[in-house]
Amino acid sequence: MERPLSPFMFPTWYRFQVTSALSILHRLTGIGLAVGSILLCWWLIAVAAGGELFAQTHAFIASPIGMLLLFFWSVAFFYHLCNGIRHLAWDAGSGFQIRSAYRSGYVVLAATVLLSALTWLFVVLA
Amino acid sequence: MAKPASPSNATALRDETVLRRVRQLGSARDGLGEWRLQRLTAIALIPLSLYFVASILLLAVSDRMTAAAWLSAPVPALLVILFVLAGITHAVIGVRSVLLDYVHTRSLLVAAGLIVRAAAVVLAAASVLAVLKLFLGR
Repeated sequence: MERPLSPFMFPTWYRFQVTSALSILHRLTGIGLAVGSILLCWWLIAVAAGGELFAQTHAFIASPIGMLLLFFWSVAFFYHLCNGIRHLAWDAGSGFQIRSAYRSGYVVLAATVLLSALTWLFVVLA
Repeated sequence: MAKPASPSNATALRDETVLRRVRQLGSARDGLGEWRLQRLTAIALIPLSLYFVASILLLAVSDRMTAAAWLSAPVPALLVILFVLAGITHAVIGVRSVLLDYVHTRSLLVAAGLIVRAAAVVLAAASVLAVLKLFLGR
């Protein structure tokens, strides 16, 4: 089968656009969150098991690698949440004009930065 | 097949009648059901995920409340189970649609789809069991 298969347009035929970059970022953060659900499941099991496993799990979360993972997870979560709401608006049939697609994209980026910053400010200050 | 009288012809895919017409053409099988489930879980995940993240944040800064005590209460146990089930369902559909776009070998695609689904079932069942143990064991 020699027909072009998706996604064949982006690197070769499309020039860079913020909107398509955001679309790819939605997929990347989605995959990241899906992989992160393994850690979520692990954490739930550790809480249920208690004792040694819970202590080890919390030591891992509190380690630099654990905190870095948690930071990336939080940014990916807020981005996927905000951009997901943008997608739901499109599904409902609104915001399709090129100008509003760009505007909502920048709003999503700003909201992601703001929500992530507020979250970690809360953790650091509290 | 009779043409639907409703004006929803213009917004075609919302209409079951149109779905059946598409099915006769042989292009759409269960795509619309999956599309719907993806949006349904997305809407459910907005409050559920925000509840989960807010609870984890409060747990992280609390001196007295432990995660085990939090999950043994009925409302948190219920909402976390719903969060995990909606989240994993949403993730399976999303990951499979990515696989469909990037894995062009049929056998690899089928194998990857099976692995993703098996992992999802194990993760979901293990998470529900963990929460149920805390809830029932209080």
